[in-house]
Amino acid sequence: MAFVQNFPFLSILLSLFSGPLCSILSGKWAKRVNTGVIVTTGVMSAFVLQHVISTGQSYVYQMGHFPAPWGNEIRVGILEAFMACFFCAVMLLCMLGGIREREEQIQESKQNLYYVMVNLLLCSLLALIYTNDLFTAYVFVEINTISACGLIMIRQTGRTYEAAARYMIMSLSGSGLLLLGICYLYAVTGHLLMSNIREQVQFLAQTGQHHLSLMVALGLMSVGLAMKSALYPFHTWLPDAYGYSTLSSSAILSSLVSKGYIFLLIKIFCRVVGFNVVNESKVVNVLFVFGIIGMIMGSLSAIKENNLTRMIAYSSVAQIGYIYMGLGLATEAGIVAGLYHVLSHGATKALLFVAASGLGDASGNSDRFADITGAGLRNKLAGTAFLAGSLSMVGLPMFSGFISKFFFAQAAVGHAHKMFPTVIALALSTILNAVYFMKTVIRIYTPAPEGSVGGRQIGVWEQPAKSAALVCLILLNLILGLNSDPIVRLIQRGFEMFD
Amino acid sequence: MDAFLLIPIVLPMFFGALLLFFSFREKNTAPGGRRERARLCLYVSAVLGISVALALAAAWSGDRELVLFTLFEGVPVYFHVDALGRLFVTVVSLIWVLSALFAFVYMKHEGKEKRYYGFYLILYGVLVALDFSGNLVTMYLFYELTTLVSMPLVLHNGTREAVMAALKYLFYSMCGAYGGLFSVFFLYRYSDSLNFAPGGTLNQAAAQGHEGILLIAVFAALVGFGAKAGMVPLHAWLPTAHPVAPSPASAVLSGVIVKSGVLAVVRVVFYVAGTDFLQGTWVQYVWMTLALLTVFMGSMLAYREQIFKKRLAYSTVSQVSYIMFGLSLLTPDAFTGALLHVVVHAVVKCGLFLTAGVFVYRFGYTRAEELGGIGKKMPKTMWCYLLLSLTLVGIPPTGGFVSKWYLAEGALQSGTGVFSWLGPVVLLVSALLTAGYLLPIAMKGFFPGSEHLQGLEEPHGIEEPGEGAQAHSSRKALGPELSPAMLVPLVVLAALAVWLGVFPGPVSEYAARIATAVF
Amino acid sequence: MREVLMLIVVLLPMFTGILTPMLSFRSRKAMCIYLETAVCVNSLLVFWLLFHAPDKTLTVFRFTHDLSITLGLDGMGAVYGGLVAFLWPLALLYGFEYMEGEEKEKSFFLFYVATYGVTLGVALSENILTMYFFFEMLSLVTLPLVMYTRTREAVLASRTYLYYMLGGAAFAFIGMIFVLVYGTTSSFVPGGVLDLVNVHEKKDTLLAVYVLCFCGFSVKTALWPFSSWLPKAGVAPTPVTALLHGVAVVNTGAFAVMRVTYFSFGTKLLRGTWAQYLVMGLAVFTIVYGCSRAVKETHFKRRLAWSTVGNLSYILFGVTLMTPMGMAGALTHLVCHSFMKSCSFLCAGAVIHKTGKNYIYQLDGLGRKMPKVFACFGVSALALTGVPGLCGFVSKWYLAEGAVDSGEPLALAGTAALMISALLTAVYMLSILVRVFFPKKGFDPAEIEEVREPGWRMLVPLGVLAVCILCLGLYSEPLVRMLKEIADF
Repeated sequence: MAFVQNFPFLSILLSLFSGPLCSILSGKWAKRVNTGVIVTTGVMSAFVLQHVISTGQSYVYQMGHFPAPWGNEIRVGILEAFMACFFCAVMLLCMLGGIREREEQIQESKQNLYYVMVNLLLCSLLALIYTNDLFTAYVFVEINTISACGLIMIRQTGRTYEAAARYMIMSLSGSGLLLLGICYLYAVTGHLLMSNIREQVQFLAQTGQHHLSLMVALGLMSVGLAMKSALYPFHTWLPDAYGYSTLSSSAILSSLVSKGYIFLLIKIFCRVVGFNVVNESKVVNVLFVFGIIGMIMGSLSAIKENNLTRMIAYSSVAQIGYIYMGLGLATEAGIVAGLYHVLSHGATKALLFVAASGLGDASGNSDRFADITGAGLRNKLAGTAFLAGSLSMVGLPMFSGFISKFFFAQAAVGHAHKMFPTVIALALSTILNAVYFMKTVIRIYTPAPEGSVGGRQIGVWEQPAKSAALVCLILLNLILGLNSDPIVRLIQRGFEMFD
Repeated sequence: MDAFLLIPIVLPMFFGALLLFFSFREKNTAPGGRRERARLCLYVSAVLGISVALALAAAWSGDRELVLFTLFEGVPVYFHVDALGRLFVTVVSLIWVLSALFAFVYMKHEGKEKRYYGFYLILYGVLVALDFSGNLVTMYLFYELTTLVSMPLVLHNGTREAVMAALKYLFYSMCGAYGGLFSVFFLYRYSDSLNFAPGGTLNQAAAQGHEGILLIAVFAALVGFGAKAGMVPLHAWLPTAHPVAPSPASAVLSGVIVKSGVLAVVRVVFYVAGTDFLQGTWVQYVWMTLALLTVFMGSMLAYREQIFKKRLAYSTVSQVSYIMFGLSLLTPDAFTGALLHVVVHAVVKCGLFLTAGVFVYRFGYTRAEELGGIGKKMPKTMWCYLLLSLTLVGIPPTGGFVSKWYLAEGALQSGTGVFSWLGPVVLLVSALLTAGYLLPIAMKGFFPGSEHLQGLEEPHGIEEPGEGAQAHSSRKALGPELSPAMLVPLVVLAALAVWLGVFPGPVSEYAARIATAVF
Repeated sequence: MREVLMLIVVLLPMFTGILTPMLSFRSRKAMCIYLETAVCVNSLLVFWLLFHAPDKTLTVFRFTHDLSITLGLDGMGAVYGGLVAFLWPLALLYGFEYMEGEEKEKSFFLFYVATYGVTLGVALSENILTMYFFFEMLSLVTLPLVMYTRTREAVLASRTYLYYMLGGAAFAFIGMIFVLVYGTTSSFVPGGVLDLVNVHEKKDTLLAVYVLCFCGFSVKTALWPFSSWLPKAGVAPTPVTALLHGVAVVNTGAFAVMRVTYFSFGTKLLRGTWAQYLVMGLAVFTIVYGCSRAVKETHFKRRLAWSTVGNLSYILFGVTLMTPMGMAGALTHLVCHSFMKSCSFLCAGAVIHKTGKNYIYQLDGLGRKMPKVFACFGVSALALTGVPGLCGFVSKWYLAEGAVDSGEPLALAGTAALMISALLTAVYMLSILVRVFFPKKGFDPAEIEEVREPGWRMLVPLGVLAVCILCLGLYSEPLVRMLKEIADF
């Protein structure tokens, strides 16, 4: 066993323990530790990725070498390692972009707590990605929820409290359902390890036993995770949570946290229950329908919004809809497209949030539409970044959004019944995306009316960290858009390893 | 190649354009002095004289032809003089010269003479080209140009009414032209060539199975080109546009330009589609119905109309459809009659409009009831008017009688069922109506009755107040009789109208020759 | 080597444009010379390329293994590329005078020149993705030009513009996906790339997708019911309206429709199906619709814009005939209409520039003051109306010939629609001419005493275009023969 195989476990452990560590450090040091942890885990994940690619096989890592059912397992394949790596990268950029906001919006004494939350979040995300045990997954889902709530309310305004409370309630109901589902599954199969459950489920499915219970379990888990990842109609918590929290929080929450749940759901579908069973259950059809409705409704809500960050938040609802639509196609191509969209949306949404804050900086820290008029001219880099993000959302070739849209459509074409709804929904949603994103782009490039106050010029070097984050995110977008072949191949190979 | 054909076409166009150019450069639009006008008249008469001479020479010196250049593959701009073109060119030239002569005096009070003569000359070139056209596309080209170039004549006086009338004329004509173009596309597809050949060029083999659409196409051409000839349903422009133009312009519009519609119909039906193709089809019957309807309706409307020039315009609607009816019968005799009527009507209607011009010019009279007792003032003019009216009614021994005789005979022989007797009846009724709307003017003119005698002493003011005073004073200065430049055209036309009836031989034989060629 | 030149002609204008705001010019004249030189050089390169067509394609880069940006030159691309290369230097020259004294003209010329490259990109696209890419790019590069004045009206218009454009692209995208999935290759192949044997049972699906794709690409040609963006986009400066909304953008739509119809889906699949009738019906309806709206419109540029709507549907009508003759007609009209419409738009712009008059009822008597401009306008108006001897008649002739030849009942109705539209064209164009040359009685020439003809930079493009209209009308054989060869495969 190569040493590198320990890295996933180590990275979880590292981020987990660095959390408490941060609580005793000062804000400044906590930040450094946090950055270090993210970078380290990222690098470690990269090594792991490199390792699994070279061996071409996934491996199971038993903690303390205790076999199941006593021990706990994590499983590492290409997809897992790649996701971990990507999540670390995006998280780093989100943290980088929001430095100034954090300093301004979080009380001096609570700075370090923020990093505690971020580290725990990272830890839980990594655990969700790697774990091979359903109950462990549940535990980290809860950790994830709690730290996310912390991230939201640390800004300490009335609105964030409310948002955090809403998030907490919705999220905990989701976790509750998930837990119920897991319990059912445990009751039916007697296992908690994913691979074991799967064998048992396949057996049950073949013999036709416990059909109803299985379906209920599957349904409960899907709905639970859908609630947590803000699938329409469970999205109501999202705009407030993303719209009012501090920049790093909204960026991380929207681009990573919900994606962690989705990744978990994909794992449950593919590794726990098995695709054939999921397909029979019609759960996917429900997800498909709500995904499509979400695509449309999210965009419609975004159009009505007159606050930039909230608009971007609503757009997340639509984008989550895309991913569920891909899952709902229930084909390999569909899931690969969904996974690709996880990447592309992660990169794009983070970019948009950071760019929006940059635009806000140039408009007297306001993100109302009336104030950001001409902001793209005052803060050129943020304007460009917002433009790039919007174009990606609208699906201009060269940007990541185009590629995922392309994969979705291609996946849909192979599907007999869901083809037309999918392609039409894609087209409509593209138009709607164009409506609100391009409207904003036009607005930020229209000179502010005479006599408006609050705007100021912002140069590239004024906030180097944010600028760097923006540049990196744009590049990430372009890479995903221009060089998608190797990434898709990775996803496909990783997906094959799931079985 | 025979470049000689090109000269009478290009020459008036060029010099007309030159005149336009000068009128355009002119800052001052007020009428010029006597000298200047004399120079202008000389210029116009020189150009027109030479052009007419050349045109007639070109027309009457054998079957000349000229391929100018190729517009599309197999569709050249092609001129070819044939018997029909010769006839039309002669009529056009005659009317053009006489009307120009009249205009030299008349246009004094209209102003913007250079512009008028410019378009007048260009229009002559275009019409000659139209008559010389050797294929459908060339004809279509000059047909469109006729519309475009004659439109400025209609709007000459620049009132809102005139401009609207001109636009109406333009759009009706274009609408018609596009109907024609529609048919050109189909005829091109289903005929051997678009070159005119007596009897038609339709390719029977290619047209096999496509008769339905071809008939529709030909019908579109009939209705379309019929627009210019004032045939129902696209006739409404004519009573609006002709009266607002200056009288010499109305004279050529009514006398000649409407005939270009007739020419186009003849070309499509008799020279491309062929009579055999149409004989007995629904197109023929609908055509006949439309023509008869127009004949009757035009007369009725003319009878009810009080404004003199408008009455004449309605009369044109009715009379040109005599020609259309003659053509629609598709028999040689009726065809001969139609061609004869082309000549007769051109002469008569030109003359009548010129008379109307005289009244407007001298007295500012525009309404029929104002003309009572006018024969006392201007006996010569009134005699001409009487002769022309009688011709139009068709009293022997005038030209109108001959042409109508042929038409009626053709109808009776045509074997078209109900139309063979309905046609002559309608023609007769219409002739009575014609008498009813033309002759009372002459009667009242000579025998006004006692109440009109006083009224004649002082001329009535004309309708536009601004111009009234000035026109009034200028009219007083004129002597009691007309100047020869105005009288001569009238007399010549009246004489011609009668002569055509007394000695119809040469013309009717010529027309009959054409008829035998196309059937 | 020659294939690299294709990339150069696409990129050169873009770089020229991007450099414009960065360079500091000694005078405005220097900037004009710089831009005009670059554009002329590029046009010359394009022409050289047309006569020395590269026999290979050039893959610029690959998105994925089967998606690549590839440039290539075939007959159709050559026609469109040549057309664009001919018109751009003229319109740019015109733009120098029109934009004189404007504040942000550098940013204007940036996008104006960059659009040239993008349009060439469309012409030189070798596969459907490349075309889609440049198609989308075109919407985006022209956006700043539409919102150039930054007035409220302009901003609203640019929003509408963008929604329509991107919305259209979204539907075109569906078509692209199907071509990629069911086609044997993504390249354009005369006759289509669909594997007809395999897709047989999916025929109806594919037809539905074709209709979507057709509509998507036709948004740029302002097909009804997607036509309202075009008149609104008239708020842009006239050089933009003339070249982009009279020619480049709308023609790109038509060009794209031709590509997908003849080179991707293939007429074999489409001919005689409900899809053909549906799209043809739309085109025929739009022909009449656009012209009717033009008649109703009293704003000079908007009237021309509606006229564009109608005329572009002529092209689409030719395309939907799905015969070589129809396509030849469509290509002819593509070329002819570009000349006519850019000429008339540029005339309108000259009038607006010199007099500030935007509405047709204000134009009384201007013909006497600006004879050269209105002479050119007259030529283009008569050409649009379809007077023989001018190029509008030529293209109408071939379109109608194609329609008559196809023998479809709907195509015959289309021929009638062409005629109706010609009549309406006469109504809305000639009424302008009558007004400017024959002012009504009571018109006071003193009101327009100050009006002068524009300078040579405006007059030269107008004159050149008018002469082209005339020449093409009188001697169209070589062009038409070439287009027929292109269309006949």
